[in-house]
Amino acid sequence: MRTPSLAHDLRQVVGEANVLDTGVNLRLYGYDAYLEERRPDAVVFVRTTDEVAGVVKACNKWGAPFVARGGGTNLSGGTVPVKGGVVIEMIRMNKLLEVDTKNLRARVQPGMFNLEFGNALAPLGYQYLPDPASQKAATLGGNVAENSGGPHCFKYGVTTNHVLGLTVVLPDGTIARFGGKAPDEPGIDLTGILVGSEGTLGICTEIVTKIQRLPEGVKTLLAIYDSIEAGSETVSAIVSAGMVPATLEMMDQLVIQAVEASIKCGFPLDCATVLIIEIDGLKDDLEQQAEAIADLCRKNGAREIRVAKNDAERAALWAGRRGAFGAVARITPSYLVCDGSVPRTELPKILKKVAEVGKKYDLKIPNVFHAGDGNLHPLILFDWRDAAQKERVMKAGMEILELCVAVGGTISGEHGVGIEKMDAMHLVFSEKEIDAQRKVKHAFDPEDVANPGKIFPAAREVAHA
Amino acid sequence: MRDGDGLARKLSSIVGEDQVLSDGAATAFAVDGVSPRLAVRPGTQQDVEAVVAACTAAGAAMAPWGGGTAMGLGNPPSRLDVVVLLDRLSRIVEFDHANLNVSAEAGVRLARLQEVLGEKGEFLPLDPAEADAVTVGGLVESNASGPGRLLYGSARDWVLGLRVVLPSGERIRCGGKVIKNVSGYDMNKLFIGSLGSMGIVTEATFKLLPLPAARATVVGVFRQVPQMASVVARALESFLVPEALEALDPAALSSAETGLGRVSPAGYGLAVSLAGSREAVERQVRDFTKLFKENDAIATDTLGDADAGPAWRAIRNVHAPFKASGVVVKVAVPIGKTLDLFASAGDLGRRGFTGAVSAHAGSGIVRAGYRIAAGAPLEPLRDALAALRGEAEAAEGSLVLESAPAALKRTLDAWGRVRDGFAVARRLKAELDPGGLMNPGRFVGGI
Repeated sequence: MRTPSLAHDLRQVVGEANVLDTGVNLRLYGYDAYLEERRPDAVVFVRTTDEVAGVVKACNKWGAPFVARGGGTNLSGGTVPVKGGVVIEMIRMNKLLEVDTKNLRARVQPGMFNLEFGNALAPLGYQYLPDPASQKAATLGGNVAENSGGPHCFKYGVTTNHVLGLTVVLPDGTIARFGGKAPDEPGIDLTGILVGSEGTLGICTEIVTKIQRLPEGVKTLLAIYDSIEAGSETVSAIVSAGMVPATLEMMDQLVIQAVEASIKCGFPLDCATVLIIEIDGLKDDLEQQAEAIADLCRKNGAREIRVAKNDAERAALWAGRRGAFGAVARITPSYLVCDGSVPRTELPKILKKVAEVGKKYDLKIPNVFHAGDGNLHPLILFDWRDAAQKERVMKAGMEILELCVAVGGTISGEHGVGIEKMDAMHLVFSEKEIDAQRKVKHAFDPEDVANPGKIFPAAREVAHA
Repeated sequence: MRDGDGLARKLSSIVGEDQVLSDGAATAFAVDGVSPRLAVRPGTQQDVEAVVAACTAAGAAMAPWGGGTAMGLGNPPSRLDVVVLLDRLSRIVEFDHANLNVSAEAGVRLARLQEVLGEKGEFLPLDPAEADAVTVGGLVESNASGPGRLLYGSARDWVLGLRVVLPSGERIRCGGKVIKNVSGYDMNKLFIGSLGSMGIVTEATFKLLPLPAARATVVGVFRQVPQMASVVARALESFLVPEALEALDPAALSSAETGLGRVSPAGYGLAVSLAGSREAVERQVRDFTKLFKENDAIATDTLGDADAGPAWRAIRNVHAPFKASGVVVKVAVPIGKTLDLFASAGDLGRRGFTGAVSAHAGSGIVRAGYRIAAGAPLEPLRDALAALRGEAEAAEGSLVLESAPAALKRTLDAWGRVRDGFAVARRLKAELDPGGLMNPGRFVGGI
């Protein structure tokens, strides 16, 4: 008989083969798409809600914190086990449990990839709308934890608008169901509070989502500009004209060049920006809408407009956009992705200032942004082997967030606070506002065991009389 | 509450003597028969902070009151000392039309807000009943919606940010004015639909939409529910994107029509609102008219923009008469069950409980109003509603009393069975309102 230990108890819950607690295995689960790492004490692979509850209870017994992990695509360090403890790997809970077209709902496990879910729904004529660019590798559980966005969120809203129920393992190991297929469950909107809580309030093990009919028609346009301002003005003109495209995506020259070098999708290398506009809905007015939008593009200085003629051309345009983060890795080995969000009309001003920040710190900062909703992703490029450069990168990142807040924006649009932006919380919230959020944390997790060391900045010293 | 006179003096010093009502005048603001000792009308958000801090210091239980349209919602208060009237918080703080958002104080009436937004060609896509009276604060704290919920969702989907006065008297900001915001927890969700049990919302920022270029309404009348249900099912599986699919039982149909001076044959009505470009609206009018015919509609009608406004107002308000002299319930079930519950709610009529029943047929919401004759015993209606609740809960749904005599609420809980999350909800309440002073007793589980 073995000596009692956390690892032993975990093996009792999930079986011998589903616990890793030695060597290099642990390193593999200690980092994500952010820039830091910390080795966990153990990694467990779970398959059922009961197993998750059992693992959490074992953690409680040994006083170990835990972090749920899906695809590991988090950009703010949300899955890094900064306090050690157990990484609960959700990726094997990846079943689509039910597609209920009659009620326009689906039930799905959190380890399923966002794209995989979409691919399962499409043949039935349905879709799940939030579509983060990382959808190939990002899991739905991660989407819930981060309240993920994506290009389609301008028209259709973010994850919280599409998730109506959750089965959750609470930090004390109890299992609870919040919401469900019926709307308006009486009581506090715990589903809404869980979504975007970055794994700090509990672990979701089943998700009830809205599903929607695929649109009858889709049209995708690419407008090419010699100045970023012209692209931004087009976006404002489209919105002022009363149109609500499904997506309005832009990227700048550096990104375009990187994208073209890695995936040939036909973006001109010499333009300042491209704007990808997609409209969807009934086919009756799509042609006309597309013409009206093309007109507005031309009026605002587009040098060329291309309309995707078929699915293959449309897919190529999107491959360019979705591949943007990956492609910039061709320029330097590392980058820090900023995720500021501003009122849309402030975008041109902010982009100019971002360029100034790049000059000030001698850094290259290409940009990808959701132009319709004002969420920008400056990618600050650097080489992780250069410590001095990394320090400049962190300063530049913080300065960009300050700029966003100064024009009425915020520090994170869709990537979460994680460990990256804990100190930036003070840019947007007062101490009492952060304290109100701490109370929510305390109500769910009084022992601070669920993904501790995230979101909250160190409490400011208060002078006691 | 300790020292009521002292509190009255303190509140007068904050808002002015003429904005504090006591005793007789305050009874006009009784909630389910429970009269407050005082009613106070702060004029600014800062005044609300001071008022709440003073009430908390005195251990006084508070209830916020906006347009009064949702004051029947929930259980009778377990205590009530001070009603905080928010009608003077009537500033539209900022209308940033270029960025499609507006920030308005809690007392702004929805109808007025829509008027201001409309001048710039925009609107807030929430259409609960009584838009003339409903306030921004009430919209948020009751998570209001109306027939347009089908396309647009509820208040939950349109709130970008809130300012909320906590029981401590501190005012916090939740969210912001950007469309995508994951900076910290989504604190808005704590206050949307929680009936003021966690704090008093003093300002809300909403996301907006451009007004559609065209709108039309088509109405079909059917002899039986299944024919109407077939139209709804086929519409939901089609590409069509109606704004609203509102089912009306014969009483609701005739009451809506009486107000409009129209008459159609007795039957079940399905009112469909269509919005978008002219082409898209015309196409959908054609498709729905065809669907009506294929499902044996006994009458169909198309209303243009001018007639549609009053028609939808009448449709939204069909239950209003029963708020004063009866009971109004909201049933929420999975979408596919909506018309089953609609039919069951209508069956109560055959058992002598007359009223009007309507449903957001594509959204899972049924609303029914029943008349209660003066002096009639409440038990038979209570038992019938309990049975209807049983059916809703068996379908994973709920039945909530939106308005009912306090005597009925004492034997039929306003919210129904306690759900999984209640233990967490109670801890949240204890964290945010340790003294239990915000609307005590009214919300789910008596918190």
